[in-house]
Amino acid sequence: MFSKILIANRGEIAVRILRACRTLGVEAVVAYSEADRESLAVQQADEAICIGPADAKRSYLSAPAVISAAIVSGCDAIHPGYGFLSEDEGFAEVVGAHGLTFIGPPPQVLERFASKEATRHLLGGEGLATIPGSNGMIRDDLHGLEEAERIGYPVLIKPSAGGGGKGMRMVRTPRELEAALKICRSEARAAFGDDSLYLEKWLEDNRHVEVQVAVDRFGHGVHLGERDCSVQRRHQKFLEEAPTPALGEAARNELAERAIKAVVAAGYENVGTLEFLVDPAGNAYFIEINCRIQVEHPITEMLTGIDLVTTQIRIAAGEPLGFSQADVTLRGHALEFRINAEDTEHDFRPSTGTVERYLVPGGPGVRMDSHLFTGYEVPPFYDSLLGKLIVWGPDRPTAIARSRVALDELVVEGLVTNVAIHQALLVNDIFLAGEMTTNLVDRVGSAAFLAAAAR
Amino acid sequence: MPDRDDAARLADHAQIEGLADDLLPALIAKLGATGLAELEVREGDWRVRLRRSADGTTSGARTTPGRAARSAGGHADHAHQQPAPEPAVDPYRAAATSPGVGISHSRPEISSGSRVRAGDRIASVDVLGIPQEVVAPVNGIVGAGLVESGDAVEYGQELVWIELISTAAERSGRDA
Repeated sequence: MFSKILIANRGEIAVRILRACRTLGVEAVVAYSEADRESLAVQQADEAICIGPADAKRSYLSAPAVISAAIVSGCDAIHPGYGFLSEDEGFAEVVGAHGLTFIGPPPQVLERFASKEATRHLLGGEGLATIPGSNGMIRDDLHGLEEAERIGYPVLIKPSAGGGGKGMRMVRTPRELEAALKICRSEARAAFGDDSLYLEKWLEDNRHVEVQVAVDRFGHGVHLGERDCSVQRRHQKFLEEAPTPALGEAARNELAERAIKAVVAAGYENVGTLEFLVDPAGNAYFIEINCRIQVEHPITEMLTGIDLVTTQIRIAAGEPLGFSQADVTLRGHALEFRINAEDTEHDFRPSTGTVERYLVPGGPGVRMDSHLFTGYEVPPFYDSLLGKLIVWGPDRPTAIARSRVALDELVVEGLVTNVAIHQALLVNDIFLAGEMTTNLVDRVGSAAFLAAAAR
Repeated sequence: MPDRDDAARLADHAQIEGLADDLLPALIAKLGATGLAELEVREGDWRVRLRRSADGTTSGARTTPGRAARSAGGHADHAHQQPAPEPAVDPYRAAATSPGVGISHSRPEISSGSRVRAGDRIASVDVLGIPQEVVAPVNGIVGAGLVESGDAVEYGQELVWIELISTAAERSGRDA
């Protein structure tokens, strides 16, 4: 086991990692930016070190600052949390070159899974279905039309390089395809300097389901069930639940079994999440793997009783997993509500301010992972996540009933939060029926959603 | 001042009030008009010194945010009294701070007593083998070091005091 871990993150996840270190009896140093000097993680830490100014590029995103802080504070490992440097395989490599351990997959494993396209090929070869698409890049319009015909409309045009929606268009007819190819080519060329495009089958009304895995250095792996993250607003998850209401128990098990088999065969190591799109017929298509701890990991912890962060640290330290698939049992139902500093009445614009009053919900199955405290000034420099309310119940209706109570109990005064959208979901018929799709909130519109709940 | 009686103290207070009411506004106007950085007037046992919210002290003020605001209004003290130690608002010196997290290194040509100008490189902090310069936040004289060469330092940490030149000159004159 490590002797001392540098926590290179902030907010609720820094607090979560600090707790995991203490559970393992490992010393921890919290690395913080000047804007987080008064943060909960810094206050709770036995040791904290300022690594740079508020600007994340010069603090939480600065590999030299983070690694230097680990060295001068005598750490032998770095926990990157999520976001920031957590998925930067270059960073993981430099950490290793300085004789430190990156808490996550080893650099050579991260590199193998760095490219989304290569990962789809790799895991597709290990038995995971991927979204049907064109064979390679579109050579010209005629080739594009032939491939779209073969895949079946609607199709999504995607650029080979980059992301963020640029050069991306969904088309329903050959005529639309021809027009859109021109636009996408020029957009992709302008944005990425590369106008190569490919086609993917467009899945209407899909659900986002992800499988949590843990694999040790010795190739021993387990899955910890799946999570449903279909509740999204503009491609941002804000409510997650497990198990997914989209699939029956047999289908869920089958998906999780296929996922763990594929990643073990492909040489994955440490905790990770395989994301799938599930179509209305229940077909699951692999889209990408996240090689880190995820925001929504607590719902899996509630179902399994397994601490994913200590598991992640132990695997990175070279320890065997210590349990097998037969030891993993999934009990009950859990939901996670991301509490964001967002103004639901003004297009979810981020809000900042000082927490004047903070009252934490409680009761059976209720857990609040948050870095808030009364008097805390939310800095304007980072994401808007204030915390996560996680609620467990023996079944979905009980978990939802407990969630309503917990959301009502939660008091955050001094800034605006998105609690209203969660409350709106918990009275929405589609959500209550377990039939949410990733496009629902945006299709209805957040405002209409809130208004319907208010009636 | 245990030897002073109430009458003396009252007289002092009256004098301070007079200075504040009559002299300070005139001095502030003068300072604004001339563009000087500092003005000092002596009257009997009293001395009034006014310093412009110092250019260049802002970087040194990073960990002592009160300083700039407090010194902007001027500063009056009693000639016979040593200034009370008030680390958060120090008009006599400014700290040079670390530009990064790493190992501090002194420069051989800079030592206590060296005269430096704002922006001069006075030390460095080694961040993964890449030196980052520590610069003097103000014109002055290098004073007490707060860390040793070779110490681990964090971003923004105060490394060395720079004594403001006028203050240092007065002190050495008084000490002599």
